[in-house]
Amino acid sequence: MKQFIELFKPKTKSQTTTMFAWALIAPAALVMFWIVLWPLYETFRLSFTNSNLGTLMGGADFVGWENYEKAIGGRKFPAIVTRTFYWMFLSVSFKMILGLIGATLLASNIRGRGIMRALVMPPWIVPIAIGCFGWVWLYNGHFGLLSNFVEMVGITDGPFSFLAYKQSAFYSAVVTDVWIGTPMVTLFFLAAMQGVPKDLYEAAYVDGASRWYRFRRITLPQIMPTIVSMALLSAIWTFNSFEIIWILTEGGPRGATTTLIIDTFKTAIFSYKFGAGATRAVLVVLILGVFSVIYLTVLGRLTKKYNYGGVQK
Amino acid sequence: MATVKLKNIYKNFDETEVLFDINLEINDKEFVVFVGPSGCGKTTLLRIISGLEEATSGSVIIDDKDVSNAPPVERGIAMVFQSYALYPHLSVFENIAFPLRVAKVNEKELEEKVFKAADILQLRDRLDFKPGQLSGGQRQRVAIGRSIVRDPKVFLFDEPLSNLDAALRGDMRVELAKLHQNLKTTMIYVTHDQIEAMTMADKIVVLRDGVIEQVGSPMDLYHNPKTKFVAGFIGQPNMNFLKTTDTEIKNKRLVANIGDLTLDLAVDVSSTTAGDEIDVGIRPEDLGVSASKAGVQMSVDVVEHIGATVILHGSVLGNSNFCAVVPSDSTIKPGETVNLIFDFSKCHAFNSSGQALKKTNKQI
Repeated sequence: MKQFIELFKPKTKSQTTTMFAWALIAPAALVMFWIVLWPLYETFRLSFTNSNLGTLMGGADFVGWENYEKAIGGRKFPAIVTRTFYWMFLSVSFKMILGLIGATLLASNIRGRGIMRALVMPPWIVPIAIGCFGWVWLYNGHFGLLSNFVEMVGITDGPFSFLAYKQSAFYSAVVTDVWIGTPMVTLFFLAAMQGVPKDLYEAAYVDGASRWYRFRRITLPQIMPTIVSMALLSAIWTFNSFEIIWILTEGGPRGATTTLIIDTFKTAIFSYKFGAGATRAVLVVLILGVFSVIYLTVLGRLTKKYNYGGVQK
Repeated sequence: MATVKLKNIYKNFDETEVLFDINLEINDKEFVVFVGPSGCGKTTLLRIISGLEEATSGSVIIDDKDVSNAPPVERGIAMVFQSYALYPHLSVFENIAFPLRVAKVNEKELEEKVFKAADILQLRDRLDFKPGQLSGGQRQRVAIGRSIVRDPKVFLFDEPLSNLDAALRGDMRVELAKLHQNLKTTMIYVTHDQIEAMTMADKIVVLRDGVIEQVGSPMDLYHNPKTKFVAGFIGQPNMNFLKTTDTEIKNKRLVANIGDLTLDLAVDVSSTTAGDEIDVGIRPEDLGVSASKAGVQMSVDVVEHIGATVILHGSVLGNSNFCAVVPSDSTIKPGETVNLIFDFSKCHAFNSSGQALKKTNKQI
């Protein structure tokens, strides 16, 4: 025993420092292990078993790649993956475009700019669930504002329930997701735009560059690192966005709004197929893992490309 | 090749009056320096000439054409900013080419012009670099290159050297002077550094609190400052001032008494009465050290050896910020007392409102 303790006693000063560092990290590391690593490991383990409601009491069996074969080979799976990517692409594109337009407007020198900046925030500040319930009402066929409006304008000739049809439900969910996600993107872009030194614009203005030219050749390249990082982060978040779709449609009607994350939830929790659900969760992790690698590589490259070496303050 | 005329320029920012009735004529090919302490309105005036700022009233006339309401690009000016304002994401080539790209100049002509500018500024081997990879002086040259390619009628410089270290600033001063000789273009240059103004300018415009204090050639300003402010601002080290204890007027000459010292000054006394308080100014380099006991006593606190000369700091007749420049072979040490000789003809006199009393050149 004494020998064992001797083994761990610091021998040099740098060892003491290292031990101290480990001691400081230990509590956080333990918590991280408990809430991240262990569940991750459990999910991986579960994904190779037939764990379900029936096996809760006594041992689920190891089934190898069966869950994966079933999931990937499943009839609905390709459609779900396609839909998830389409959902992500559509939503992120709109968030980026609207965010850019919004930030440009808010950055311009207009009266009441402060109030407008504040007014951009609510979709983001309001709890997602509350915002979504608001949209559920808006989309309602009988007493929803939108239905009434499209009828009044003459697009429909009767009550229209937006969330009741496959096509309209999907795009309605996209609209809501964009509504919730745009303010943050806008504010990040705005912050980036305000970081662009004013004299760059003045220099270009003296040279006769138009507003659009200045935006294209100064603003855009200057905030490109922010645009790319926001796009990739937003892609990850949208890919994983669960509560918005769930509150609006629960993945329906007839699976029209079921993305990979909704499918995972439905399989694992609603159908009590924990093993099969875990498999889907692992697939999500893998796909997002690829995204993260892309994110970090691209960001690294951009930082290098736009490394100004402190030319401007 | 252009003249610039400013007529009755006023500028207010909200309630604050920044420029007050500015009238100025700048000749073709002249190198004009606006100089003054920070907040005097010199940069604002430059920005009004450039078109980045609009005057509250008054007009800017370039080459006999009123451009007061024209955007900068139509004024035929090019501006070099204090921060250089280089585009960090573009190469040196693209930075210099930027104005030409805006003007949609064809690729061949564009390349020619950029190369020509790069040759003038010795940037040929730096064209593929990003601004972040350049030294301060090189960045400065890129900024100048960007203004050269446009062949402007008037160059505007806004404190272009203030971000450089002292040694580089000296080099760039010479380079800019050479550039002016080569390009033979009207240049307007803003600085708070009176040495830059003295060394480069054909004409110096001294501004103070939004008003032109004096316009003139460097030596004119040095020898004949119209106000106490100009006298104190131009020249390094600064001019010494002594307050009179009593004044008399004899034979249309001013006799100024400062303690035991009596100075007989050949200045215009038509607006002065005996007993008026007068500030007498004398430049540190116009003082001599007396070998005998004659002259005014100065108790020396600090001795600065700068090579060619020695600068003495100390007190004279109650002014404890008094300064004298003496030859480098001087052996005076701190704590000692020296006797200074005042050359009457080199003394300046200023009345209580800071206006200089004109020298009459009447010898004794």
